[in-house]
Amino acid sequence: MKLLFLTAAMIALPMTASTALAAPKIGAPAPAFTAMSAEGTPVSLSDYRGKTVVLEWTNKGCPYVKKHYESSNMQELQATAARDGTVWLTINSSAPGKQGHVDSAGAAAEMAHFDTIQEAYLLDHDGKVGRAYGASATPHMYVIDDEGMLAYMGAIDDRPTSDPADIKGAQNYVASALGALAAGETPSKAATRAYGCSIKYAD
Amino acid sequence: MGACPSVPSAVSNALPKDAEVGIMSVMHLSKILMTLLALLIVLPASAQLVQNPYARIELKAGPAEAGARTVAIVMTPMAGWHTYWKNPGAAGVETRAQWELPRGASAADIQYPVPSRFLVSGIMNYVFEGESALLVDMAGLPQTGPHRAALTLDYLVCDDSICVPESAALSADLRDIETSDRQIAEYRSALPARDGWTGQFAIESDVLRAAISMPGAARVTDAYFFPLIDGALDYNAPQAVSVAGGKLVLETAAGYDPGVTEIPGVLKLFMGGDAVGAELLLSAGDVPAMGAPLAAGAPPAESAGAPSPSLALAFGLALLGGLFLNVMPCVFPILSLKALSLAKGGASPAAARSEALFYTLGIVTTILALGGALLALRAGGASVGWAFQLQDPRVVAGLLLLVTAIALNLAGLYQLPGISLSGDGAAASGGKSGAFWTGALAAVVATPCTGPFMGAALGAALVLSGPAAMVIFLGLGLGLALPFLAIGFVPALRHRLPRPGPWMARLRKLLSLPMFATALGLIWVLGRQAGVDGLVIGVGAALLLGLALWWLGMSGRKILPMLTGAAAVIIAAMVPLKAQEGAAAAVTTAALPNSAAFSRAALQGLRDEGVPTFVYFTADWCITCKVNEKGALSDADVVQAFQDAGVRTLVGDWTRADPEITDYLASHGRAGVPLYLYFAAGDEARLLPQILSADMLIALTREPDTA
Repeated sequence: MKLLFLTAAMIALPMTASTALAAPKIGAPAPAFTAMSAEGTPVSLSDYRGKTVVLEWTNKGCPYVKKHYESSNMQELQATAARDGTVWLTINSSAPGKQGHVDSAGAAAEMAHFDTIQEAYLLDHDGKVGRAYGASATPHMYVIDDEGMLAYMGAIDDRPTSDPADIKGAQNYVASALGALAAGETPSKAATRAYGCSIKYAD
Repeated sequence: MGACPSVPSAVSNALPKDAEVGIMSVMHLSKILMTLLALLIVLPASAQLVQNPYARIELKAGPAEAGARTVAIVMTPMAGWHTYWKNPGAAGVETRAQWELPRGASAADIQYPVPSRFLVSGIMNYVFEGESALLVDMAGLPQTGPHRAALTLDYLVCDDSICVPESAALSADLRDIETSDRQIAEYRSALPARDGWTGQFAIESDVLRAAISMPGAARVTDAYFFPLIDGALDYNAPQAVSVAGGKLVLETAAGYDPGVTEIPGVLKLFMGGDAVGAELLLSAGDVPAMGAPLAAGAPPAESAGAPSPSLALAFGLALLGGLFLNVMPCVFPILSLKALSLAKGGASPAAARSEALFYTLGIVTTILALGGALLALRAGGASVGWAFQLQDPRVVAGLLLLVTAIALNLAGLYQLPGISLSGDGAAASGGKSGAFWTGALAAVVATPCTGPFMGAALGAALVLSGPAAMVIFLGLGLGLALPFLAIGFVPALRHRLPRPGPWMARLRKLLSLPMFATALGLIWVLGRQAGVDGLVIGVGAALLLGLALWWLGMSGRKILPMLTGAAAVIIAAMVPLKAQEGAAAAVTTAALPNSAAFSRAALQGLRDEGVPTFVYFTADWCITCKVNEKGALSDADVVQAFQDAGVRTLVGDWTRADPEITDYLASHGRAGVPLYLYFAAGDEARLLPQILSADMLIALTREPDTA
C-alpha cells in the first residue's frame, strides 16, 4: 500500500521524486548502507552487527551543531558511548558546494579541531544514506540496537535552541536511549522531532 | 542584545566553507565587533524595533480595552529568507517569546498566521516568507499608568542553504506604540479561521488518510494540512487530495507515532488563486476512500482494494439497520405471515431452505437495484439521497396502491393464486417465485421506513466507490432477510413457532391494520406533496384497485377486472407533480418557537450573530423524523427551554428533492434524513443522535456558551 502510494506520488510529483526522503520505522531493521569514510575505506552498517550504533548527522556550519560541539556536549556523549562499546558514526550529507560540505581532508580537520571521538566520519555526498534514514536536520540522531533494529530517531535533546546555556538541564534523548538499551529496555522516547538546520542535500 | 549569540553565527555562516577551522580568534573578534555594531544599530532607534542581520522585528500594540490588548510581533526576514511556524516541519525551530510585563498582566500563547510550505531538497519546512505578524493577547494590564513590556524573541531565519538563529530584545511602553484597530484586524485576518472544523483520520499500512466535511469541497483546487503536533504524519511526503461525497479526503505517509488519536493543525485551502486557512482538529475515526481528484491537484493515490475497517463497520451498520426494518409496520406483517407459512407443518426442511433463499434473493436483488439506480443517478450528477424515489409523488401513489392491495389481502377482501403472501400454498410449486416476489415486496415497502441505524451506513455508501457502496446495500438487504433466513435454515426455530390453527386467520386480519396505517401514512405524504387534488386522485385510485382485486378474486371473468386495475394504476400516475401554491409552505411540523426554513445563508447569518441555533432536516415520509417532531420536538418543556435560551430553529424540508439540502446532508456524511444539529453560540456544529429525547434537548440549551 505504502509502496503503491509512494510510487503514485513519485509519478505525480516528478519534482520531489528525486529527493523523496524515506522515513524508517522504530523497531524495524535500520536501513543497510555502505559509505566511504574520511580515511577512504568503505564502512557498512552490517560491519557492526552485535553492537549498538549511533548515527549523527552533522554540518559544521549549522549553529545547532556548533552549540553541541563548541560546548563539548557532543564529544562527551561520544566518549561515554565509546566507553560502553557503542559504535559512533558521524555522517555528513552536505552536497558539494553547499554549507558544511567536506572532503576527506576537511573531515579530518574538523575531527581534529573538535577532538571528536567516533568510529568513522562518513562522507555521504550524494545523500543516499541520509535519504534512506529520512534525516532532515542537523544534528539528527539515530540509535540502532545490537540486533540492527532502529531504537531511537530524532533530536539530540529536548531544548530546540542554539544557545549552549540550554544544554545544562536538558534531557539528552541519545544518552537516555543508550542507557535504556544498556539496561535491556526500549527507550521511553523512541522518536522525537529533530531540530536544527535542514540537511543540505544535493538538489 | 549584549549576550545575543546569533550575530556571530551569521558571520561564520557567511565565511567561505572550511575557513572557520583555526580562525577562532578572528571569530571572537568579529563576535565583539558585531555585538558593538548591533548595539549601535539598535540603541538610537526606538526599542520597539530591532534590525538583525537577516530579519527585522517590530512590536505593535492594539488599542487597550479594560486592561486587555493585542500585541503584534511583526517579523520581516530579508528577501529569500524565511521564519518558522509553530511546528517548523522536518527541520527548523519554533519561535520563542519571553515577556516581562507589569504585575498582574499576562500574555497568551502566540497566534500564528497561516503558514506556507518551503520544500528544499526534499525537506519540508513550514514557514513565513516575507512579513508575518504573530499576535499575542494580553490581559490584566493596569488601568492607569504605563504598559511597560519587554520581549526577548528567539527565532530561526533561513534561506535555501543556511540557517541563522537570531534574537531580538524589544521593550516599550505599549501606549507609545499603539496602532489602529484596523491594523490589528488586518493582522488577525491572516490567522487561520476558528470555525471549529473537524475531521476524521485513519492510519493503515503507514498511510494516513483524513476526511474533512466541508461545504463547497468541489471548488477546492488544492489543499494542504499543516499538523501542529509531531509524529502524526511524514512532513516530507506529498499530500494527495481528492473529493468524495462532499468531503475533502487527504492522503499522505504516516509519521512515526501510530498511537496518535487527535491531530490539531491548520488546513490551507486553495480555490483558484485564493488561499484560506482554518484550524482543524482531526480525530481517529472512519474515513472514506479517496474520491475524485481535484481540478489542479495531484492525482489520488491508489485506493484500498480490500475492504477497509470503515467499510466493514458500515456493512455491519447496514446489516443492523436492515434487521431493524423487520419490526417496522410496513414490513412486519409480511415477515410474520411468511414465517408462519413455513410453520404450517407441510414444508420439508429442503423446501423451507429454498423458500428462505429465494426470499433473500428477492430482497437483495431489489435493494441492489434501488441502490444501483441511486448511484447511477448520482454519477449522472443528480443530487439524490436514499429513499429518493419517495420524492416523486407518482412513486408514492404507486406505493400506496401496493400497500393498499396488501392490506386488503390481509383483511380478507380477496384471494389470488400465485400471491403467497398469506402463506396459503406456500410449499406448493409456486413457492420459489412466490418467495422471491414476497422478498422484493418487503424491500420496496421497507424504503419509507428507513430506520435510524441506516442513516450512517447509507451515508457511508454514498461517499464510497461504486463496488464498496453496493457492499453496503448488500448488507442492508441481508439484514432485512436475516430473520426469515434463520427460520428457513434452523429447524429448531421453526418448531418454536406456534402451532397453526384458526387463530392464524384472525392474526392475518389483525396484521392488515399496520398495513392500512402505512397506507394512511403514504396518503398523508401524497397530500403534502401533491395537494388535496393529488390526495383524492391517489385514494380514488386505491379504491378502484380494491374493486378490481375483489372482482379478480371472484375468479371467472378476468378481462374486465384487469382493465379496472389498469385504470387504477393509470389514475395513480396522473397525480400532479407539484402541490398547489401554499400547500407545501406550512412546515409547522414541530412546535418549536422562532422557526424558519433552512438555507445555508440563514444558518451563516445566525452563526455570525452568535445566536444558538438548532437545525433539523425532515421529510414527511420519514417516520423517525415524525416521531421526533411529535415527541421531543413538541415537548412543552423543550419549547419553553428553547424560548428561554433564545434558540432559533431552522428546518430543512427534504420531502421533495432539494439539492441544497442534499448537499448539506452529504457534508455531514448523511445520505438522508433525519439530521439534527445544534450550534451553541459561537460554537461548531454538534451532531445529535437520530432519536431525540426532551432531556437531552433541554440540557443543550443550558450549557454555557463557549463563545
